[in-house]
Amino acid sequence: MASMKKRAPREQNDSWVVIAADSVVDTHETDSEPAFVRLRNPSTDATCLYMLGAGDVQLYEVKAFEEDFHSWFVGQTVQRDGRLLFITPMDPLYLMLPYLNKAGKEGKFQPVDQIVMDEEFPACSRLLSCTHSLASLHHIAEEKEVGSLKFHRYSQEKTMSWLKKKVERTVVALRKKNISVGEGVKSTTYVRVKSEYQEEDYLRYAHGLISEYISEDLSKALLKHLQLPELTSPKETEPPSKKRKLSDKPVEAGDDYTKFNSVDFSRKPPKKMTAAQKTLAKADKTGMKTMSSFFSPKVKAEKK
Amino acid sequence: MDLGPFETDNSVSCRLASQIPDVCKVEDCCLGIDEAGRGPVLGPMVYGICFCPVSNKKDLKDLKVADSKTLREAEREDLFQKLDEASDFVGWALQILSPNTISTSMLQRTKYNLNALSHDTAIGLVQYALDSGVQLKEVYVDTVGPAEKYEEKLSKLFPDIEVTVRPKADSLFPIVSAASICAKVARDRVVKGWNFAEDMGEVDADYGSGYPNDPKTKAWLLKFLDPVFGYPQFVRFSWSTAQTLMDSKAVTVHWDDDEEDGEKAAQRQHNRSMLSFLSASTGGNDQNSTHQTHRFLTERRLKSLSTL
Repeated sequence: MASMKKRAPREQNDSWVVIAADSVVDTHETDSEPAFVRLRNPSTDATCLYMLGAGDVQLYEVKAFEEDFHSWFVGQTVQRDGRLLFITPMDPLYLMLPYLNKAGKEGKFQPVDQIVMDEEFPACSRLLSCTHSLASLHHIAEEKEVGSLKFHRYSQEKTMSWLKKKVERTVVALRKKNISVGEGVKSTTYVRVKSEYQEEDYLRYAHGLISEYISEDLSKALLKHLQLPELTSPKETEPPSKKRKLSDKPVEAGDDYTKFNSVDFSRKPPKKMTAAQKTLAKADKTGMKTMSSFFSPKVKAEKK
Repeated sequence: MDLGPFETDNSVSCRLASQIPDVCKVEDCCLGIDEAGRGPVLGPMVYGICFCPVSNKKDLKDLKVADSKTLREAEREDLFQKLDEASDFVGWALQILSPNTISTSMLQRTKYNLNALSHDTAIGLVQYALDSGVQLKEVYVDTVGPAEKYEEKLSKLFPDIEVTVRPKADSLFPIVSAASICAKVARDRVVKGWNFAEDMGEVDADYGSGYPNDPKTKAWLLKFLDPVFGYPQFVRFSWSTAQTLMDSKAVTVHWDDDEEDGEKAAQRQHNRSMLSFLSASTGGNDQNSTHQTHRFLTERRLKSLSTL
């Protein structure tokens, strides 16, 4: 009967199911192919997978839809990994921002190719070849031109107004896509008939989304810049600890359980069911005879 | 008996029926219910009803219909022929429950067992007879499960009909014998000429009786086990014979209503293990623990990757 199924460890695949824009695979006039690169995630500071389009002209982020109990049928094969990868365009400025932010602490103007450098993630310098990278640096940094050389210095003020614009554009997108942004809405498929969300709900939601792309410090600063008060809601993950209230009175039992303590005192704990018993418990047994009914003395088939 | 309607799509349940004899619409009738193919791991289960005017009970006896199990296949075919020829007073109807119907019923999220399926099919056929204008007064049924409970259930559903549920009714009442012959003949024919929907190359049709303890059936099941898909729809996946073979020989498949034990299952269900409350609650020793992914992403089950 049903035995315990053991999950084999996830094996390495050499193929994935991916949704990507045509532009990702468009290798227009360059010899290079689009490639996955590992870069520092600006929000978590951890290694994260991105993709650079052919010729490093466009940055893409990689997100995986992953749920338990999914597999793919691809052509005539089965793929155990039921993930669906999304490769979507991303503003490279987000990834350069931490480097500029860090260099900005020194307060000096520096050439950008000296700022965006990382021994751990050498691929980060390729971000500078993206089409809009250099042209959009002025959103987050002051620029100085000396001769033919350009120097940059991080500006918190510029960054904040840039991020604010990002939030506002996200709000527009959220409204357009009818995303449920209110608190307490747990299901994405649950759609309210009337949109009763306040502007603040949208702003807060958009701020949360943008915070996926910036450091925690910047996220907090942005919240202030948007003039949104910090929420002081209790953490969801940890239930409030139940502590007995202290009082001066002597402790007394609320109920007297002693009178029931007689024979039943050493009641056995419920036994753990075997796999077979569990399977049986799940089965639909309506209209079936019990095993014992086959052994009990026969009842006369008379009825009246 | 034209099996065409079933054979065009043998993955679903299908009803076949004779013409309703005119006398059955005016005279009080009796009806027998029996089934064929309850136990086999292969092929459909067939439910049959047979009905005739109460006054024709003797004519039915004269046809020498008897419990289908006591007859050889040729005799059954012969008797069915006679029943079909007596269409001026005998009518029949069949419900063929494909093996696929049985599998999907018994293995669905809310389990629907064979007894319940049987009862509902029988009820459906009685209702069909009533809807067709047959003047039913007596119904005889070979029991499935406890006879008294079944009888009570049927009497409640059909208060104007005298319902008799008996074990071995197929040898007690000729009308039930007749129903059992119809069902058995239909099942034999369907199994013999099974159209495999699957592209299995050369299918060898030597699968024996289809009962789990038949060595031929077992050998066939071993031979046609596909590691990914298991079996063609001809096989009842819900039978433990099939399940055991798939568990041991085929690829393991996990469904989200499979039961799992222990820490991992709890984690999957987003419960916290008891232990986590007891361990030092420092938190933040993991770099990612402070970062909570935005609900836009978590609600959509989207996550970043560090490797492919």
